[in-house]
Amino acid sequence: MRQYSYLLALWWALTLDAAGESGLQTLTTLPDRPPAPAFTLPDADGATHRLSDYHGRVLIVNFWATWCPPCREEMPSMQRAWEQLKDAGIAMLAINVGEDEDTIFAFTASYPVEFPLLLDQDSTVVRRWAVVGLPTTFVVAPDGTLAYRAIGGRAWDDPAIMDRVRRLAGIRGGEKF
Amino acid sequence: MTTLFAAPAADADAPPSGATQGRDPQTDLRYWRWNADGILFELTQRLPDQTRGFFEARGFDQQIANEIAMSCVFQTNFKNSAPSGDGTVAFDLSKWRAVTDSGRHRLLTREVWHRRWSQRPVTKAARIALEWSLLPTRQRYAPGDYNWGMTSFGLAPGRSFTLEFNWVHDGRTFSRTLTDIECAADIQQPPG
Repeated sequence: MRQYSYLLALWWALTLDAAGESGLQTLTTLPDRPPAPAFTLPDADGATHRLSDYHGRVLIVNFWATWCPPCREEMPSMQRAWEQLKDAGIAMLAINVGEDEDTIFAFTASYPVEFPLLLDQDSTVVRRWAVVGLPTTFVVAPDGTLAYRAIGGRAWDDPAIMDRVRRLAGIRGGEKF
Repeated sequence: MTTLFAAPAADADAPPSGATQGRDPQTDLRYWRWNADGILFELTQRLPDQTRGFFEARGFDQQIANEIAMSCVFQTNFKNSAPSGDGTVAFDLSKWRAVTDSGRHRLLTREVWHRRWSQRPVTKAARIALEWSLLPTRQRYAPGDYNWGMTSFGLAPGRSFTLEFNWVHDGRTFSRTLTDIECAADIQQPPG
């Protein structure tokens, strides 16, 4: 099984490379800016997180699973992005779909991240957010509306993506405006 | 790589190529790829043994995992590869058909599997794993968006078929075919 996982990951990396697709980093603007659906979920350490806890801040919400190769692929870039954004008050959550604490704990041994990993074990929240494929990531504006969406993995520390996230938080050139 | 493009006769503006097939040198598994008309679409064989292992590890009993594994499963990637700002791409797997000498077959989508398991002893966790590991039945992508997931065609291991697939790009419907697709045989991959 471990060998298959390795081969699958290798195939995924080769697919991205062969198709030259790894360079296109886009965020889709959601023109109608719907409100982000509320949630209350535990993280892998048992602490409770509510969407309302993050009101007034830009929040990146990623839906993922450990078995999903593009989810794993983008996770280190999310950590790097978060390291650069957290001091600006920008928050990041990754909501795991359908798995348990033990699975996520084992995952973090290979993919260490410091932002909260929440558990949506019965997939109620992911459905409320109208997600149909993993990974899907939203950027929530400070007023609680959905500003951007990305379906599929991204390099979250790409300067173009980071710039759009910072601008949503009212930051230009490192200064709040 | 071999070109295997075959477009419907009515589609006069179809490009001369866009389809390729090959064999992964690392895994020896075959793949079929369409890379034109604003999309990248790729099917890569999954050995039944791979699929069995994946679903057994996620709570399915052996019998049910085997039923999925023997249904001609492919690893699938579908991407809107159009330049940024060049419109959305949408597909609906329920409109795709696998054509064999015995007829035209629908894909086994999330909804089909859900109906099959509704009367069977499958845990909720396992149902969730199956649903999310399959390519969405209907999806809409902005430029740069993509999904990765499994597709299953309900055919026996080793069976060949032609896939009729279609999608909408910026309001225009595209219909294409990929020929000589082959379900992976039910063999064990040697350790290596």
